[in-house]
Formats: sequence, structure tokens, C-alpha cells
Amino acid sequence: MRTFAIAAVWLVAGLASAAAQTLRWGGDAEGGAPFVEADPRDPTKLVGFDVEIAELIARKLGRTPQFLQVQFASLDQSAKRGDFDIGLSGVEDIPARRQSLAASVPYYEFREVLTVRDGDRHRFRSLADLTGRRVATLGGTIAYDLLLEAQQTHGITAVSYDDDVHPYSDLALGRVDGVVLDHVLAERAMRRRTGLFTHPDALAVGAYIIITAPENTALRDQVDHILREAMRDGTLETIFRKWHVWNDDQRRLYDRVANQTVNSGDAADVPTTAEMAARYVPSLFRAAGITLVLSIAAMALAVALGMSIAIGRVYGDPVTRLVLTVYVEVMRGTPVLLQLFVIYYGLASVIRLPAFVAALVGLGLNYAAYESEIYRSALEAVPRGQLEAARILGFTRMQALRLIRAPQAFRLALAPMTNDFVALLKDSSLVSMLTVVELTKQTQIFATNLGSWVIPGILCALLYLVMSLPLGYLARRLERRWRMPSV
Amino acid sequence: MTRALEIRHLRLRRGDREILRGVSLHADPGEVVALMGLSGSGKTTILRVIAGLETADCGEVNAGKVGMVFQFHYLFEHLSALDNVMLAPIEVQKVAVHEARQRAESLLEQLGVSHRASALPRELSGGEAQRVAIARALAVDPPLLLLDEPTASLDPARRNDLGDALATLAKSGRSLVMTSHDDEFVRDFATRVVVLANGEVVEEGDPHQVLTAPRHASTRELLQVERAGKR
Repeated sequence: MRTFAIAAVWLVAGLASAAAQTLRWGGDAEGGAPFVEADPRDPTKLVGFDVEIAELIARKLGRTPQFLQVQFASLDQSAKRGDFDIGLSGVEDIPARRQSLAASVPYYEFREVLTVRDGDRHRFRSLADLTGRRVATLGGTIAYDLLLEAQQTHGITAVSYDDDVHPYSDLALGRVDGVVLDHVLAERAMRRRTGLFTHPDALAVGAYIIITAPENTALRDQVDHILREAMRDGTLETIFRKWHVWNDDQRRLYDRVANQTVNSGDAADVPTTAEMAARYVPSLFRAAGITLVLSIAAMALAVALGMSIAIGRVYGDPVTRLVLTVYVEVMRGTPVLLQLFVIYYGLASVIRLPAFVAALVGLGLNYAAYESEIYRSALEAVPRGQLEAARILGFTRMQALRLIRAPQAFRLALAPMTNDFVALLKDSSLVSMLTVVELTKQTQIFATNLGSWVIPGILCALLYLVMSLPLGYLARRLERRWRMPSV
Repeated sequence: MTRALEIRHLRLRRGDREILRGVSLHADPGEVVALMGLSGSGKTTILRVIAGLETADCGEVNAGKVGMVFQFHYLFEHLSALDNVMLAPIEVQKVAVHEARQRAESLLEQLGVSHRASALPRELSGGEAQRVAIARALAVDPPLLLLDEPTASLDPARRNDLGDALATLAKSGRSLVMTSHDDEFVRDFATRVVVLANGEVVEEGDPHQVLTAPRHASTRELLQVERAGKR
């Protein structure tokens, strides 16, 4: 017993020291070159300048680096939860981040630049030239805030993406007319595809930082110390030169940072929570409107198509029934997210649907499969006697369907339909993947910039409830009015 | 005088079971024919074949337009009583809406349920639903009316009302064929009774005669079972 206890203590102590010896660092390897990317020659290995900086810090701390894949937009929340020790993946230096997390000194300065199609380089030189046009960027970044401002001042439409590859591919396709992102990403995009042009002037200047959990200021101070040292002894310059992103901006940044002794960025010029809320609440309402319009339109499509499928499956010939059954099973058996990607990105070379239309069609086609099953079972639930009575009275099959079977089936289908509409209202958040900023996406952007999920989360939940509760009430009333006897 | 219904040598098989084994039957205008027999004797199947809901394997059915009142009525559940009666004239016979409404109202009036015109089927009592179902069947003016167990859901007073209504319909020149378990009702209101056993006609004739002095063993058995059931 005693031996066991000692063994247990040893085990726990061993695990603890192993944890102390590794340095868990979080980043997003999805489309992440030259920051963090799986090595094309050996995808089990990571490469990128952020990878080398993380390794440098681990080495100086005497620890082994261990990578944790975290979605770019979730890095802040993940740092706060303590999922990793340090986070770096092109993380931008913004006031809200400094307020809610412990942030290092900046280690790389970037310029926000405007990229357009080659043919538009003379027409679109700045955001002011893009009035009434769609301009894309990565959500939750300085560039996105820049575009939100330009929405007010220049009347552009800001389009937010979840990654930094698709803004440029959609620019090439003509879905957007400009992309604003930092020059590191812009240069990479220019290398990857032809026909794009990046204006050299900076629309704004920002910097990358390393984040740690807010209470972990001790680690942050160590990181600052290591970064300053690496700035002075040229280690950082070597890394950035290797990745072809070194320029004179960095030398000036390092002169400035390396000679400071304290981390100066803390809590400087941070808008208050109330100011932030006032700034974002109107866009939250607008996003709720988009969610509602999208859901209603997609549901209308799903209902119309679902009824046709159900009628085809009940009345059609064997070939029609087989084709429709395959459609229903494929749509129900594959993730709606995959279907949305295929419709928006996959079909882009055949038909270039605008994001909202692709979202509407994708959700509508998917939900049509579910609706058709509801209508089919409702049609089959209408008692046979009803149809026999109709037949003796001389109604044709189609008349019996139109006048008797379908109206009765519709009443039976009402409750499950309402459930589906509420589900659709929530599933519509998936279309943020296609750059449609609906309620959940807008809440996420709000929360990222505010550095907290509490207020945005509550507002978002309330807006969803305001949209779904009256519907449930209406459905219950109609159901009571139309209550069918249980035959 | 042309017959409203004439069926000859009707045979119908479901799997291993022979449900009808050569049934012949007729009904003339003004007649109220009652089909009696134990459960499984084939009475309801005969009505369904006449109505065209089932097809016999062989035999002959000659009937014109047919109306049918089901045991469980099968009123269209989403429509009011009046709309149930109006729907077929408007949609099938293309009668003008106001004409169809007038006729439907007068039918409901004749059957004593005009006060329930706007009620939904689920709000009607068994007797009311039955009379609306009769009105619906009569709305397309069929010379032959089939009724499946019309007395099954009625109390004795309502039973006599129904009998009077059926007698009136017969007097106006229609033929009525009904199935029934109720020998008193058949004696009081049918003009002829046809007794079935195992898919065959075993006895036929004046209800008073057949039911008072049955000649066939199946008829005697049937009456015993029915009377035992009533006690």
C-alpha cells in the first residue's frame, strides 16, 4: 500500500516535470505559410518563421516545443483558457488583445496593403476608389476593422473570410474587387497566382506579437527578454531573411523595441466595453436580419422542393422514386458544410454564385431532403379511407392529392416543419464559411475584438430566441386550430 | 325498369382465402337491400367491389354512379360539414359554387343537420357525422347508395330516424344496399335481405320471412350470435 502511494507520487511528479519541460505553443497551420505550415516535403513537420521563433523561445527556456493546432479566430480564447503556453501565428497587436491577455513586445511590423486584379490597378488605387464594391479580408483582424471604417467613410462592403487564401481566389474570380491584408500574406498570394496587383502604399501599420494567458505575465516577461535579445543579436533577422520577409521596417522596429525596458503596450488607448458595444450592436442587429432573411428564403426553397420530392416519391414511377431517394440519402448522409463548400467553391469554375445565393441554395437543397421525408410520411399518414371516399366521389388521383391528401398532410407536417425551421435558423451560422456575416459570425468578430464572449454571447442568444420563439408560438396555435383526430 | 345494380358470379381471392365464391345479387330502384352475415362472410367486400375499390377475380358488376357511406364515415377532416358536401359537385361535376352551396344546404336540411353546417368532422357526434356523410354521397346524385354498417354507431332513437331517412330515399327512386348486423333494423326498414356465409349467398327474401323463419343453418346461427350479442 505504502509502496503504491510512493509510486503514485513519483508518477504525478514525473508527469508534472514532463509538462514543465515542454513548451506548448498554439498556432493555425491551415494555409499558414510563411507563418506556420506543414512542410510540403514532410507534412508531419511544421515550417515557417513563427515555428522557428517558437523553437527559439523553447530552446532559450530549456524546454521542448510542442505544437497545438488552434483555429486562427480562436487563438485568444484558447490562450485565455490556458490550452497552450504561448500563441503565435501572425497574431496582431491590437488594444483589446493587450487588455484581455498578456502580450509580448511586437516582433514583426507589417503594412496593410490593397490588392486588386491586374486590370483594375489604375482604376482601384485606394479604398476610396472602391465605393459600392466588395472588399475582402480575414475576419477579426486590423484589416477588418479598417474595412468596417471604410464601409462608413467610403461606402464599400466589407467581406470577412475565415482564412487568408480564399479572399485572393475570390478576387481572381471576381466575387470581390479588392483584398486588404498584411503585406506578408499579399506577397504570398502574388507568388501563388498571377493576374493580381498589390499597391505598395500602406493603408495602416501593425505588428505581430506573442500571447500568453493573462495571468502568465512571468512567462510573457521571459518571452520579451528573449525577443529583445534575438533582435539585438540578429537571430530574428536571420529567421526573417530565410523566409524572405525581412525589410527595413523591422530594423526600425527593433531599434525602438530592443532599447525599451518595459513592455509599453499594456492597456494603452483601449476603448471601453460600452464604446465597443455601441460600435458593434447595430452590426449585430443587421447580422440578425441577414440570418432571418436567409433562413426564411432557404426554408421557402426547402418547402417547395421538399413537397415536390415527397410527391414524386409517393406517386412517381420506379425510376423517379429511385433518383429522388438517392438525392435524399446523399443530402442527409453528407455534412451540410461540405455541400456549402462544393456549391460555393467547388462549382465556382462552372457557375459563380454570389455568397448569399450560394448559402441560400445550399441550405435550401439540404433542408429540402429533410422536409421531403416529413411530407412523405405525412402523405402516407393520411388515412386510406379519406382517399377511398374521394375516389368514389369521382376525384382523380391528382385532385384527391391537391384537395384532400396534401392539405391534411400539411397539417400533420406543421410541427416537425417548425422544428426544422428553428434548426435551420441555427444551421444558417454555417454559411459564415462562405463569407456571409450572419449573427453568429458577427458575434464572433465582436467577441474577438472585445476580448470577451459574455456580452456578445448573451446578445446573440437573445436575438436567436427573439427570432425562434414567436415562430414556435405561432406553430402551436395553428396546430391547435387544425388539430387532426388520431385515426 | 332498368336495374340499379346487377352482379353475377363474383369471385375474389386474397392469398389462400376465397372471400367471395360466386355471389350474384341485384337491386332495383326503390329497394332497400340488406346484406347480412357473420364477420368474414364477405358483405363489406361486396360493397367495396361494387364501389370500385376492389377488383373481383371474375364475375360481372353492372352499376351506374355509386355513392357510399362508410362505417367510419371518412369525412374530409380538414373541411367543414358544408364543404364536405360541396367539394365533389364543384370539383368533379363543375357545378357553380352558389348552386352547389344551395344543394348542399338543402341536403343537410333534409337530413336534419343544417345547424352543424360549419362544424368540422371531429366536432360532430357519430349520428351527425353519418348524416353529413349521406349528404356528401347524395350530392353527386347517384342512383345507387351503399351503406356499410349504418347503425353501428347509433343509439335506438337515432336508428329509427336513419331508417325513416333511408325509406324516404328509396321512395324517391334510389336503390339502397347496406350491410348490417342489426336484424331488428333490417326487419323494420329493408325491403329484401340477402344472407351470406363463407362468401356465398345462402338465403334471400322478405326480411320478415327470412328472419322470423330462417331456412338455412347459417341464418339461424347468425341470428343466435346477433341476439346473444345484444343481451
